[in-house]
Amino acid sequence: MITMTGPAGIALLALILFPVVYAIVLSTVEWTPAQGFGEFTGFSNLQRMVEDAQFWDSLRITLTLYVSLLVCQTCIGLYLGQLLDRQIRARQFVQAFLLLPSMIAPVAISLLWLLLYNPQFGLANYLLNLVGLSGLPWLGDPSTVLMSIAIVDIWQWSPFMGLLMFAGMRALPKEPFEAAIMDGASPRQTFFRVTLPLLKPIIFVAILIRSVDLLRFFDTIYVLTQGGPLDASLTLNIYAYRRGFQYFDMSYAATLMLTLLLLVIVIAGLITFLRRRYADAA
Amino acid sequence: MRLSRRRFVATWLQIAIVVVIFLGPVLWMVTSSFKRNVDINALPPKIFFAPTLQNYVELFERFDFLRFIANSLLIAGGATLLGLVLGTPAAYAVARFGLTRTGFFMLVARMAPGTLFVIPWFALAVALGALETTPRNYALLIFIHCIITLPLAVWLLISFFEAIPTEVLEAAYVEGCTEWQVFRKVALPLARSGVAVACLMCFIFAWNYFLFSLALSQNETMPLPVIAFSFIGQGSQDWGGLMAAATMISLPALILTIIAQRGIVQGMTAGAGR
Repeated sequence: MITMTGPAGIALLALILFPVVYAIVLSTVEWTPAQGFGEFTGFSNLQRMVEDAQFWDSLRITLTLYVSLLVCQTCIGLYLGQLLDRQIRARQFVQAFLLLPSMIAPVAISLLWLLLYNPQFGLANYLLNLVGLSGLPWLGDPSTVLMSIAIVDIWQWSPFMGLLMFAGMRALPKEPFEAAIMDGASPRQTFFRVTLPLLKPIIFVAILIRSVDLLRFFDTIYVLTQGGPLDASLTLNIYAYRRGFQYFDMSYAATLMLTLLLLVIVIAGLITFLRRRYADAA
Repeated sequence: MRLSRRRFVATWLQIAIVVVIFLGPVLWMVTSSFKRNVDINALPPKIFFAPTLQNYVELFERFDFLRFIANSLLIAGGATLLGLVLGTPAAYAVARFGLTRTGFFMLVARMAPGTLFVIPWFALAVALGALETTPRNYALLIFIHCIITLPLAVWLLISFFEAIPTEVLEAAYVEGCTEWQVFRKVALPLARSGVAVACLMCFIFAWNYFLFSLALSQNETMPLPVIAFSFIGQGSQDWGGLMAAATMISLPALILTIIAQRGIVQGMTAGAGR
């Protein structure tokens, strides 16, 4: 048994535990590219973070994006799930189309959307003009950049949520639905009164999976804006990366990343707690 | 449940809209990669155009794209292989003996932000000289991408091993097989399809992953996403070339989704059940 899990365990310890411990050490000492480790500074990085306005801004941006994306993706996912769950032919094909966006590299998706969002000849503004609206600056303006990033991620990941929800719906027992039909419930009533309550455990799992990814969301933003314009899309993740790899401010970057890890763990714990409380008991 | 006629039409209309929304942009990317730049910049956008391979030809001639494709294949393939070799026995052991602590580690691995791994590995790479010499840099990149593939492989495979009836494994054990023999001769063949799915998923996820290579690769070892990103860094307005690069990055996903869609959906959703 130990020979089976041993190698994987050691690899994981090297891959995960080492970086976490290293980051914790790094966040408590001075570090410069030339000299490496310097003096022990204790919690001074933590203090610096609390007083750093950019940190609070990044945290706000991270949480804003997280909550709005999670809500949109869950709702659209539920909609797509029940659409697939209807008696349709060619479900296989529709499923394949829905799987596609989440399988393509975020870098490629982002390049594609850079073209679609292009202010001069992009498809997005063309379509807006077509229905009589004026074009938007999309990624080029602090007031629209978060929405534009959100659209890309919603486009990429809602279908995946739809597939998860659909798989959950397939696994539900048949009797409640038959009873609902006998009682003359409309499809809408059936969805809200029968499907949704029964689906709660799956919804929680889907939310947990997405939450973990959304909070660490990096590639798409980095390719689309690198945090700009005017730092309007600078999430905690991007801010930490910039601190580390553009300013070589490694100790502070480590502090920021540990804070993000803590945030992910707290939110994942919270969702698990809510799931135990509200979904498993039923 | 039979659908009423009105509901039938409404359902198909909605499906058509959904397919256009989610497939349209991908098609736009692929078709744009065959357009000349004047056709891409045209307003109104051109749906019909004279296709050209010029964008691809230029990528291979001017940027030696073959090299970056080979890099991507090497890094993603290596990380997939290593992840599966380490992960398959571990998944079997977790499924058979219910090792919650290993499961917990996998969870942390899937929760930690990628940026957190990059700084310590950067420092270690400097110490090992893995940023200067090309072979060491490849080894580093393959190993660090196991952060993606190993937990994913274990996570996907557990449910496939759990699906094997315990009696089958017990029978082999009673007949004198060691646990390794049970794994190799009984469990592994039965979980074949699961291993195939895990293989595909690990490869796609490692192929797609951007951050580690962005921070740790060098000019010689850059995989596709990093070189494609560097094009926009140079302020390139060559949209045809960018779309050709994006299409090539998407190629494994396009192919694998078409040939193995059912297995991937099964794998992704089976893992979610826990």
